[in-house]
Amino acid sequence: MHRRTFLALGVAGAALVAGAAHAADPVRIGFSIAQTGLFAQAAPSQMTAYEMWRDEVNAAGGLDVGSEQRAIEFVWYDDESNPTKAAQIYEKLITDDKVDLLLAPWGTPTHLAVAGTLEKYGFPMVGNTAASVAIRQVAPGNIWFPTSAIPDKIGPALAALARSTGVTKAAIIANVLPFSQENLEYLVPALGAEGIEVVINESYPPDIADMTTLLTAIKDSGADGVIALSYPADSFLYMGQAKEIGVAAPFQFLLVGPTIAAFADAFGPVADNVVTLGHWSPHQAAWGRAKPFYDAYVLSFGMKPDYLDTALAYMSCEILQQAVAKAGLDKDALRATIASETFDTINGPVKFDGVENAITPTAFLQLQGGEMHLIWPADVATAAYKPR
Amino acid sequence: MTPRAGIAAGAALALAGAVPWLVGPYGLTIALNAAMWVALTVSWSILGGTAAYISLGHVAFYGLGAYVVVTSWQVLPLVVAVPLGGLVAGAFALTIGWPVLRVRGPYFVILTLGIAELVKYAVLNVEAALGASSRLLFGVPDNRTLYLATLGLAVLAIIVAALVRRSRLGAGLVAVREDEVTAETIGVPIGRYKVFAFALSAVIPGMVGGLMALRSAYFEPLQVFNPVISFTIVTMAVVGGAADARGPILGALLLVVVSELLWANAPQGYMIALGVLLIGFVVFAPGGITGALARPRP
Repeated sequence: MHRRTFLALGVAGAALVAGAAHAADPVRIGFSIAQTGLFAQAAPSQMTAYEMWRDEVNAAGGLDVGSEQRAIEFVWYDDESNPTKAAQIYEKLITDDKVDLLLAPWGTPTHLAVAGTLEKYGFPMVGNTAASVAIRQVAPGNIWFPTSAIPDKIGPALAALARSTGVTKAAIIANVLPFSQENLEYLVPALGAEGIEVVINESYPPDIADMTTLLTAIKDSGADGVIALSYPADSFLYMGQAKEIGVAAPFQFLLVGPTIAAFADAFGPVADNVVTLGHWSPHQAAWGRAKPFYDAYVLSFGMKPDYLDTALAYMSCEILQQAVAKAGLDKDALRATIASETFDTINGPVKFDGVENAITPTAFLQLQGGEMHLIWPADVATAAYKPR
Repeated sequence: MTPRAGIAAGAALALAGAVPWLVGPYGLTIALNAAMWVALTVSWSILGGTAAYISLGHVAFYGLGAYVVVTSWQVLPLVVAVPLGGLVAGAFALTIGWPVLRVRGPYFVILTLGIAELVKYAVLNVEAALGASSRLLFGVPDNRTLYLATLGLAVLAIIVAALVRRSRLGAGLVAVREDEVTAETIGVPIGRYKVFAFALSAVIPGMVGGLMALRSAYFEPLQVFNPVISFTIVTMAVVGGAADARGPILGALLLVVVSELLWANAPQGYMIALGVLLIGFVVFAPGGITGALARPRP
């Protein structure tokens, strides 16, 4: 070897070693996304929150892992909307890709399927888009749920809200899918306790294409409150057909769907004053991080965030970021920190009791003039309830 | 089976049985997938491969088996619940078999697909009425146990399928495929044969469904009765070549490998590759891998 070449190699080698010592490796964060399959339409609301968070953190110099700042790198796979596949992916992320941290997949079934894998490897993860009484059956310690939308709390809160708006006769229609049915189970007795008469209580199939029979019956029943325990597709169907048929109840509630930006875009004034499930609004001034998040999101993606899923996904990133800044990447320290600390999020302070968020109240939103306002409970409300 | 083939089969079985001790946890999940698909596809071929009655409803049997295991969880021991799931699936196939197997070709395909959807929505409504719309199972067996049980079912499926093919029943079913009217005319009891084979092809998928419910430790009807499971079974059988006993095994293993290689790197590419593979085989090699290998070259 020529002497000059040898020297050059030596210099290059020294530079490499020096470089490696300075530039810390990125923190690798793994998750699965429902890129294809049944939940594919829901995935972007979550993915955009993750991407925005990563870009913000990286632009600010990286993730604070206790002693240093390291860039975030995502390792993610498509779980085909299949919870079993998601559980396998998290096993791969932990054992094969050896990621440093995990973010959550989309939806209740997927969270519950992944919970077993987290338990097996003792890997902590902050969940987001899962809401079911079943989450309380999950052993606490490796998964936490920031949502406050849990059916046994929604039922009584919704009945109290309906009563406060003057509802005396309620018509309920419910999708047969799990989240709707769980809500139905707790709602009916709660309405009874509030002295509200249930005049219609019907369930419908998940792929319903025509609600006119149900809606005509509702119109004829004289109900002054309509509670549709709906999923996104049927919320869109309800809104369109309720207008055609002329359902005029002053209180109209749709379970899941109106928080998606496309809903307000699609219906405009027709959807005004519809009430829905949600615990976050950018209009709550007490939550200092809420409005900046909203503005940055609209700027980045040219649309409004999903008030439920995007907010929850972003909250889970904030909680993880603050926990890692305190505990570093050590799993035991991280677990103890997430379980005990109070975190400052776009939804205000969050603290966990077992697997549940112990601070954020179960709340409801109302679409008022294209803006989502919190109307219940009074201590977080950003606007007063308006009848339709 | 020639002595050499016997040795090869024994070696393959020994290797498959040793997998939990040879690979890591992620490798084991892939092996579990492979064993599951082999068991399902080979069972399907008991009727689909011999008589060419293409059932697009096998997920109903898989789902019923899962439902039995889930509803009897912590009531019945698993050694009872899993076989019971298989029996319930078999009994259901026997019940629907009489009317359903009276139609052929595309009518049979669509009818089985429809029945599977019917069962899915029936279970969904029962679950909704019970107020138990999603169920979690705690304390399920580990993956090693589940893999060995599923492997056992795959081997059992292969043995049953091979025995059927060699029996009078198998010969009768092949006669049905070649010319159902002639077969009936010369005295093959086609009704009885078809129904029996249909029920037989449902039992093992029922048990596999039970094991897979334990694997995911979570039960939700839309997931467990997902028709994509039926489509995948048929795709694997077509790619491998359902007319040959080895075809369903090869097809299942090939697609598990292709899926592993592709999904992680190109999730959209996986679905495209699957479509191309299916079209390619149907157009250029309708006999599947085994059919293409067996055909004398011009």
